[in-house]
Amino acid sequence: MKGTYLGEFEELVLLTVGALYPEAYGVAVMDEIKQETGRKVNISAVHSAMRRLDEKGFVKSEMGGATNERGGRRKRYFELTAFGKKALDDAQSFRMKLYNRIPDISFGTS
Amino acid sequence: MSNRRNISPPKWADRFLELYCKTEFLEEIQGDVHELFEARIAKQNRSMAKVKFVWDVLRFLKWSNIKKSKRLNSNVITMTRNNLKVAARVLWRQKANAALNISGIAVGLTCFILISLYVKQEVSYDGFHQKKDRIYRAWVKEVYDDGRVFFNTTTPLPLGYRLEENIPEVEEFILFDSRETLVGRGDNRVKDELNIVSANFFKVFDFEVLKGNRANPLDELSSVVLSDTYSQKYFGDANPIGEMLSLQVGGAIHDFIVTAVVEDPPLNSGFSYTMLVSLENRPLFYSDGMMKGWFNIGPETYVLLKEGTNADGLKPKTEAMVKSLIDGSGVFGDVPVEEHYLIGFQPLTDIHLNADVPGGRYPVGNPQYVYILGAISLLILVIACMNYATLSIGQSLKRAKEVGVRKVAGAHPINLVSQYLTESMLIAFLATILGVLLTIVALPVFNELAQVNLAFELSADNVIYIILVTSFIGFLSGIYPALILSRFNVSSILRGGIVQSGGRWVRKAAITFQLLLTVFLISSTLIMRKQLNYLQSSDLGYSYDAMISVPLYADSHRGKVSEEIGTAFKNADMLKNELSKNTAFSDFGSGSHVFGSEGWVRLGFDANTGNYLQFRFLIVDPYYLDAFDIDLVEGEKFDPALDIHKSQGVILNETAVAYFGLENPIGKKLPSDKFGEHQIIGVVKDFNFESLREEISPLVIVQNVLPIFQGISDFNSGDSFIPKLVFRYQGSNLSEVSDLIDKSWSGLFPNEKLNFYFVEQSLQNQYEDEARVNQIVSIATLLSIVIASFGLLGLTILMVNSKIKEIGVRKVLGASSRSILQILLGQFSIQLIIAICLSIPITWYLMSSWLDDFAFRTDIGVDPFIFSAVITLSIVLTVIGFHAFKAARSNPIRALRIE
Repeated sequence: MKGTYLGEFEELVLLTVGALYPEAYGVAVMDEIKQETGRKVNISAVHSAMRRLDEKGFVKSEMGGATNERGGRRKRYFELTAFGKKALDDAQSFRMKLYNRIPDISFGTS
Repeated sequence: MSNRRNISPPKWADRFLELYCKTEFLEEIQGDVHELFEARIAKQNRSMAKVKFVWDVLRFLKWSNIKKSKRLNSNVITMTRNNLKVAARVLWRQKANAALNISGIAVGLTCFILISLYVKQEVSYDGFHQKKDRIYRAWVKEVYDDGRVFFNTTTPLPLGYRLEENIPEVEEFILFDSRETLVGRGDNRVKDELNIVSANFFKVFDFEVLKGNRANPLDELSSVVLSDTYSQKYFGDANPIGEMLSLQVGGAIHDFIVTAVVEDPPLNSGFSYTMLVSLENRPLFYSDGMMKGWFNIGPETYVLLKEGTNADGLKPKTEAMVKSLIDGSGVFGDVPVEEHYLIGFQPLTDIHLNADVPGGRYPVGNPQYVYILGAISLLILVIACMNYATLSIGQSLKRAKEVGVRKVAGAHPINLVSQYLTESMLIAFLATILGVLLTIVALPVFNELAQVNLAFELSADNVIYIILVTSFIGFLSGIYPALILSRFNVSSILRGGIVQSGGRWVRKAAITFQLLLTVFLISSTLIMRKQLNYLQSSDLGYSYDAMISVPLYADSHRGKVSEEIGTAFKNADMLKNELSKNTAFSDFGSGSHVFGSEGWVRLGFDANTGNYLQFRFLIVDPYYLDAFDIDLVEGEKFDPALDIHKSQGVILNETAVAYFGLENPIGKKLPSDKFGEHQIIGVVKDFNFESLREEISPLVIVQNVLPIFQGISDFNSGDSFIPKLVFRYQGSNLSEVSDLIDKSWSGLFPNEKLNFYFVEQSLQNQYEDEARVNQIVSIATLLSIVIASFGLLGLTILMVNSKIKEIGVRKVLGASSRSILQILLGQFSIQLIIAICLSIPITWYLMSSWLDDFAFRTDIGVDPFIFSAVITLSIVLTVIGFHAFKAARSNPIRALRIE
């Protein structure tokens, strides 16, 4: 079992998978990331990240039905698992905790 | 938009994706890249989309996506990995054994590689020319009714030209000739070899042109091409192209322009050249008679045949050509010339090792030596492998339990065999690395000892050969132990019973064979040494110690032979007068040939009886025979004071007297009326003027050549017959000799280069080939002794270990160290005795056939066999003795304490 550490790009992909539910598959995730963050990523990088997340248990996947586009090939749809949701929650709360401890003074606003 | 569906991504990229991608990922990945492609087609231009598609496909080429072959992923790869791991552990556990095995095979392999390099060089002569399969050397054979046969590979000059004109299959021809020439103008002229070759020489043969005119270096009459070494010699590091080089041809000096520098001929080429000029200059080098005559010999003639020509099939065409071109009536009489004047072709790559065709300029090696050495190197490799096999079988008892457990766990015999083969392969592999390193280290030493010039490089070819040999060694040495081990009976092993190690008999035979080969090699080396010593120390019938010979120059190269010889004799006298002022020099004499050179002039004549007789011919001054202390049997030697001796005197050797059928020869004549006025004045004892390989030939010695030349019908010479001055040097300082001779020489002949030779050295050089082979065999013998010792040492360790309890019990019961030592040594004594006994007839037979090549040979005798037996015995004792002694002396408590 691989470690459950969540990398920065992995977290981004994990968030996107959650946000796109139930339409999260390779190209859609890539497009979404591009749209939301402006980051240009290669499709192969998205695939690798999603496969890693799958191995770590953060997402689960299954093949969809036949399609009209892409030569009739099926898509692999990903969805967040409870464990994945928890990992996102943890990351979020950890971040918020630290964020809240930033003293107001440091912004120099008041 | 409308035709969007018709545009598809690059097919090859799609197929490539399908090829490498794991099937479980293929659909999603292919789907995604296709979807992206379709989206891009809509937005961007097509070619951009295609490029990006390819890029995506390439980006997916990751380890995790790549299909793992079902075959590779199977049990085999896992088991191989496991086998390797087990093998490495076994080697590590038995360090001493592994070290002995690896070094044994490494030494064997080193020997094999070294000798193979030599053999490869010998068999690959001129194999590097692209057109080698179509290049042939022509030979000419004149067959006379009285039994005379003149078989030559140096051919008449017109042959090449006529072959090209008359035989359509001959695409091109190349003549190759060489000649000594003086290089330079004025002082310090140097005598060097000049090659006269057809202008197309560099088109047909693949010698690389390094500088200058690559396309056609010998295009002009004035072109001269230099080898790399000679470019350095005459022009140093400067660019020689376009520089002038003066060569003396005939009486005149001609200027040539350097047009190209070519690589030095490779070591495995039979062509030796240093300076080459075009054959179009032939009027300078050859007389009219030479250029037209069909019964002279000159250059070697090579032909390039058209693709698909069978050289043997050209016979009718050469016969027709001979019939139409050559008038044989004056030579052969009234018989069809094409049956007596034969022309044939010999493949280029066949020349070096074919001793049946006479040599021309191209060196011919002894094929026998190549086979012998090849066989020896293979045998040594085999005994190295046997070492491993015998040791592993010996070890098999220790591993019986392992085999049993594996079998119980379900191992098939095949699995066991492959496991043990992996082990031997690993050993072979490690040994190869060590062996190659050893070879690289040992090569300069080998070159030095064997007087060869071999190079070893890790080229692709060599690496492939070595890998093949390694696998062969691994397989050969591992297969037998592997089969033995895998056949063990499970139940008997695990019940704790005795394992039937079926290898005992084979093991004993293997040791015997090893010892046999060692004894054979040692005695053969000794016999070869003995013969070489005999050759070099036997009484040749003259005294040559401290004799120096200085070749002289004749004043004109184009005069009559007799005049040419006369001028050289005059020069000899001048040099003699100069040198004799120094008391260190004595015993002066001069003659047309000196001992230690092959190819003394051979003359033939038709005797009064109608027989055709041949004899060797020596032209001397009156002092030559005394200078060499040649004994007289009857009559007298040349008397310097008698003019009649000078003009008419003839001295024969004993063989000549018998050959000519003369009785009481003094005062008589040679058996033909055609000879001029002459008289036999003396007979000398036979002496070995040729190498001891040959029987002594009839020899005629004269001062004046003219009476003899009048009566001869043919003339043949392999050595220059221009006289040499010989004298004895009484001193020990060799550099002083050189200075003294040089001083006198440069005063007299400032324009000529001085050469001088020690006769003793030249005599030894005659047996260079034999000496070299002897050196190589000695090295092989030494290495085989080392390998055999490794094997014996391993077996002794094994034996002592397995008998440790027995020794302990014996000692407790009162056995002395000595009796135990006897038991241990006794193990090998029978094998050793059998090996020695068997080796004697084999060695005797093989060495006798080698000795048959020599007309003068030593007796094999018993001493080589006694020596080799003693040597082998002492080696065996030393190797075994130390360990056995230790075991015999050990405290029995240690052996018996643990149960």
